[in-house]
Amino acid sequence: MSRPPYIVRKQELPLKGDSTSLFLQVIISIAVFIFAITLSGVLAINSMLENWNQSILGSLTVQIMPVNDTNQEKAMSETLAYQEKAVEFLQNVKGILRVVPLKDEQLKMLVQPWLGDGVNIENLPMPRIIDVKLDTDADIDFLQLAKDLVVASPQASLDNHKLWLSKLIRFADGLKMIATTVLILVVGISAGAIFYTTQMSLGLHKYIIEILHVMGAKDAYIAQQYAKRMAFLGISGSLFGILLAIPTIFFIGSLAVQIEGGIISEANLGIVDWLIILSLPIFATTIAVWTAYYTVKRTLQKML
Amino acid sequence: MPEDINNIIEMQNVGIRYGQGAEVLSDVKLALKRGSFHFLTGKSGAGKTSLLSMMYLAQRPSRGKMMVFGRDINFTNRDALSSLRRRIGVVFQDFRLLDHLSAFDNVALPLRVCGMDEREIRKRVSELLTWVELDNHMLDATATLSGGEKQRVAIARAVINRPELLLADEPTGNVDNFIAPKLMKLFVELNKLGTTVVIATHSEKLINDFAYPRLHLQNRSLQTLYPNNYSDLGGLNV
Repeated sequence: MSRPPYIVRKQELPLKGDSTSLFLQVIISIAVFIFAITLSGVLAINSMLENWNQSILGSLTVQIMPVNDTNQEKAMSETLAYQEKAVEFLQNVKGILRVVPLKDEQLKMLVQPWLGDGVNIENLPMPRIIDVKLDTDADIDFLQLAKDLVVASPQASLDNHKLWLSKLIRFADGLKMIATTVLILVVGISAGAIFYTTQMSLGLHKYIIEILHVMGAKDAYIAQQYAKRMAFLGISGSLFGILLAIPTIFFIGSLAVQIEGGIISEANLGIVDWLIILSLPIFATTIAVWTAYYTVKRTLQKML
Repeated sequence: MPEDINNIIEMQNVGIRYGQGAEVLSDVKLALKRGSFHFLTGKSGAGKTSLLSMMYLAQRPSRGKMMVFGRDINFTNRDALSSLRRRIGVVFQDFRLLDHLSAFDNVALPLRVCGMDEREIRKRVSELLTWVELDNHMLDATATLSGGEKQRVAIARAVINRPELLLADEPTGNVDNFIAPKLMKLFVELNKLGTTVVIATHSEKLINDFAYPRLHLQNRSLQTLYPNNYSDLGGLNV
């Protein structure tokens, strides 16, 4: 009797030669590329939002514009009355911990660098300033607060910078939602492509699958062969996608830095963000393998 | 017909039809005893392939009750069906080999499906392929083998895991006069070891040489004939 041969085991299902293999690899590459770029955008926006939020958290400044009147005393008392109304309004807003109108001495110190010493601000139409301390956990709608404040005290206005940042945060939140939708769509489209190509492949290999079933193969045995193949396609496709995405992210980052707006440059990716982006091939392969495995199991359920 | 645990397959009033067509088999009653050996005969189109495909669990009956290894297959789930199939060896008339695989891999298939250790698989498959005189073609793709060689690979694949039930559709149809008796000897030996064997054949010589009972399909129904009443059919009439 001849010696048992050394066999390199071949998979029963010749999935390697499937015409859908290259298509899936390309789809996964594109999906990972788009996903990585979009995800880096989301993470950058997140870091930007965090910076911005930090800057508007904790405190707020309200300005009471001075009333113009030839009678200075009357103008001052009206301005102080508007300040009083603003204070009263702000003290009743949920999320505001402390409302402190700045004293004359404090106001003097604020304008000192521009006007010098010995200036009597009572003779000047100086705006009054109210320092507002916020509860950092409070979810305050600054745009609405600004509107309500004007109604309560027509001469009052919220610090412009904070309002502007608040609008920007809202815009960035919107961008983040769009990006998240793109991420979900990319995952959905890729999973759909894997689902249909796997079903097509099952149709192509129906003959072999029937033989495997007659031999006693369980659905999991067949599904595992698809899962193994998909693991290879997933890893190779997604590595290619991420290798293309990394220089693209750096390129977009360098373009953003060139804007020199001070705001975009805050959108830096941290180590954790990069780790998340670099783990995408694992994430993509897991989804691809899972989709292929369950597509096979579900489709085979319809056979005897 | 009462259920008998000694029966490998039991059919009660089984009928099978494809789609909305007429029944190919009607009211089939069968009790296949464990360890028995039968030929399955009938003219072309009599329903032999349909009956065999129900026996190897590729199809459920359209009506009636069918028990395989004591289990009603109408109430058996997919995983349990797979486990039952592992106890059945099948030789197809058209071989149904996987042409992209070697003879070795084709024969190893039922063992790999069961998750057997590769070293044990190598030992068993090599032995069997040597026995059917294919040791020089072990690593050849089955697409390159002759009809007779393919048939021997198909038979080796069917018997490699020592099935409790062996179903063969014209197993000696493509082999020469030297190999055919050798393969029949293999079936007989397996039967002696306890394997229940059903061989579908048109070969009068085979039926005459081995005096086993026949399951004969005629007019969509099945009857069991014993060597001494073959003449009831006006000769073999296979």
